[in-house]
Amino acid sequence: MARYGMVIDLDRCTGCRGCMVSCKIENNTPQGSYWMYVFRFEEGEYPATKVRFMPRPCQHCDNAPCVKVCPVGARYKREDGLVATDWQRCIGCRYCEVACPYGVNTFNWGHPEEHYYFDWNAEDVAPEVRGTIPAWDNPSLDEPYGPEQRHIAGGGHLKGVVDKCTFCVQRVEEGLDPACVQNCPVRALIFGDLDDPESEPAKILERRPSFRLLEEAGTEPRVHYVGGAPPTSETRQIEPAKAEV
Amino acid sequence: MAQQVQPLPYGVGHTSRAWIAWVAALAAVAIAGWYGWSVEISRGMIVTGLRDIGPMGGATWGLDVAFIVYWVGVSFAGITIAALIRLASLHALKPIARMAEALTVVALLAATFAIMYDLGQPLRGVVNLFRYARPQSPFFGTFTLVISGYLFASLVYLYLDGRADAAALARMPSRLRWFHRLWAAGYRGTPAERARHDRTAFWLAIAIVPLLVTAHSTLGFVFGLQVGRPGWYSALQAPAFVLLAGVSGLGALIVIAVIVRRTVPDAEIPDAAFRWLGTALLVLLLAYLYFMVVEILTNIYTGAARERDVTRELLFGDFAPIYWASVASFAISVGLLILRIVRRGVGLGLLVTAGILVNLGAIGKRFLIVVPSQTHGTLLPYGTGSYAPTWVEYIEAIGLFAFCAFLLIVFAKVFPIVPLNRAPRGGEAA
Repeated sequence: MARYGMVIDLDRCTGCRGCMVSCKIENNTPQGSYWMYVFRFEEGEYPATKVRFMPRPCQHCDNAPCVKVCPVGARYKREDGLVATDWQRCIGCRYCEVACPYGVNTFNWGHPEEHYYFDWNAEDVAPEVRGTIPAWDNPSLDEPYGPEQRHIAGGGHLKGVVDKCTFCVQRVEEGLDPACVQNCPVRALIFGDLDDPESEPAKILERRPSFRLLEEAGTEPRVHYVGGAPPTSETRQIEPAKAEV
Repeated sequence: MAQQVQPLPYGVGHTSRAWIAWVAALAAVAIAGWYGWSVEISRGMIVTGLRDIGPMGGATWGLDVAFIVYWVGVSFAGITIAALIRLASLHALKPIARMAEALTVVALLAATFAIMYDLGQPLRGVVNLFRYARPQSPFFGTFTLVISGYLFASLVYLYLDGRADAAALARMPSRLRWFHRLWAAGYRGTPAERARHDRTAFWLAIAIVPLLVTAHSTLGFVFGLQVGRPGWYSALQAPAFVLLAGVSGLGALIVIAVIVRRTVPDAEIPDAAFRWLGTALLVLLLAYLYFMVVEILTNIYTGAARERDVTRELLFGDFAPIYWASVASFAISVGLLILRIVRRGVGLGLLVTAGILVNLGAIGKRFLIVVPSQTHGTLLPYGTGSYAPTWVEYIEAIGLFAFCAFLLIVFAKVFPIVPLNRAPRGGEAA
């Protein structure tokens, strides 16, 4: 069984936030909620300042605090390493959200809209997308997945339940990369089976020094970073992507 | 309709105009609270001031959660008093036992509502919390031990304890006779029945003491076991929750006992009961203040960077007004309670002031436990967030107070809020 994970090359990331955009299109996430988020950091004092970027998807932890605290088992760990939310079971207590040290969970505060960013059937958009099935109409998003046969993916936007990055399970199940990985213009995000020594992310991790975020929290994330360094207490965020909900 | 020969004791069944006005006013406020909830249900929790932790820069738990913790804390009083009377033979407390038990029941009902207010899918919560219950979640204790077990034990205790009185009332003709008959359920007051009730209540009291500690501790564990939230992760959380529960519970009980003594006809609550409550509140309050000092010292002296940030926000930052107001209300209460002891009187005025102040302080502290660790305690550098409750959350919270008061004053009119003095006293000295 493949056990998926992601390697993020901070040396390559240019902070274009294309992954955030593609995530929003693919998963049709509400305004202000970012399943993929790219930090733009600044360090040091003028003139000796440095700007860095750090993408932050869900870390899909092996010892996930969100899975531990869920009172109804709606948040669960799949055999293939993904941490998923059964939106048909979630009661919306948001305990996962306060338990997560990475702040990756998003809640559906209001009534979700069918399509937030494109009306794919609109006259000017239709010729561009050439019959592609839009994310909000993807039939596989409504199906139960994997050996667990439980609901997960982005199609489940429902008022009053928690969502988060699924590693685009609807794409992964079809042998595709997650949308953020697919859309990264500089291949800073690499997705694959970390258990397979021949896979691209496994090879990178063997060759280059890497770190994981907040390892001291004991969460065993499945997202590894190479190049660059983790944020320190001196790190300041510039241009936080905030939105009114 | 039965002819009214003599009025029932303690004003049961007798409704005055003022009482009706109070019932109407409280019902109106409680309904306003539920209107707030209906807005929340129909439009989603977007009508609250809550937002996601992280890029959205909000707090995802707010006033609702603070009040869950507060109401469960208030429920501490009833069971404690009941257990103390049985186990420590504190017979002076007997007249306040019934109102303490009633307070526990209504406070737990309020806590249940507060949990419902906080759920994005309340209906699913009712089903799934039991259907898919996971003991590994710290939240498990909140709806099993606290809401189910604690509420059930309190109801059983209230029922058993009231059965003899119900039987006595059922012998008097009144419009409420059917209710008292139902409650008495065939109780006659034979020596064998009395012995059996005493025995049951004794063992229930013994069983309830560990339940008391574990129930309030599990609520502390909801926060204390989270390594991802600086300011929460502390072994002190669980015992501190038990202590603050005792403080707010006894404070609320004092206020209710004084109101009963002033308003319920013939209600004799001995000064000794108030002296005991005042001293117990003082002891718990001092212990809690000690906990607060230990916690602050640990966090500012050795705390990791983010722990220090959260503590700084508490002491000098955005949350300082609430923090110092809570500290002040606790400190003033300590002063009032000591003054009462020094003066050697009953000091009902001092007691009520202290009872109200510790509850305000407890609400403030509950809020400060819940919110700052979310808005100022992100481990990744998201920047600081903010949270301000909206009118929906305020009206829900106020509605719950009205709901509790409504239930209590209605209960006091259908059943004696003070246990009846039985003719054969059996050597019980008040």
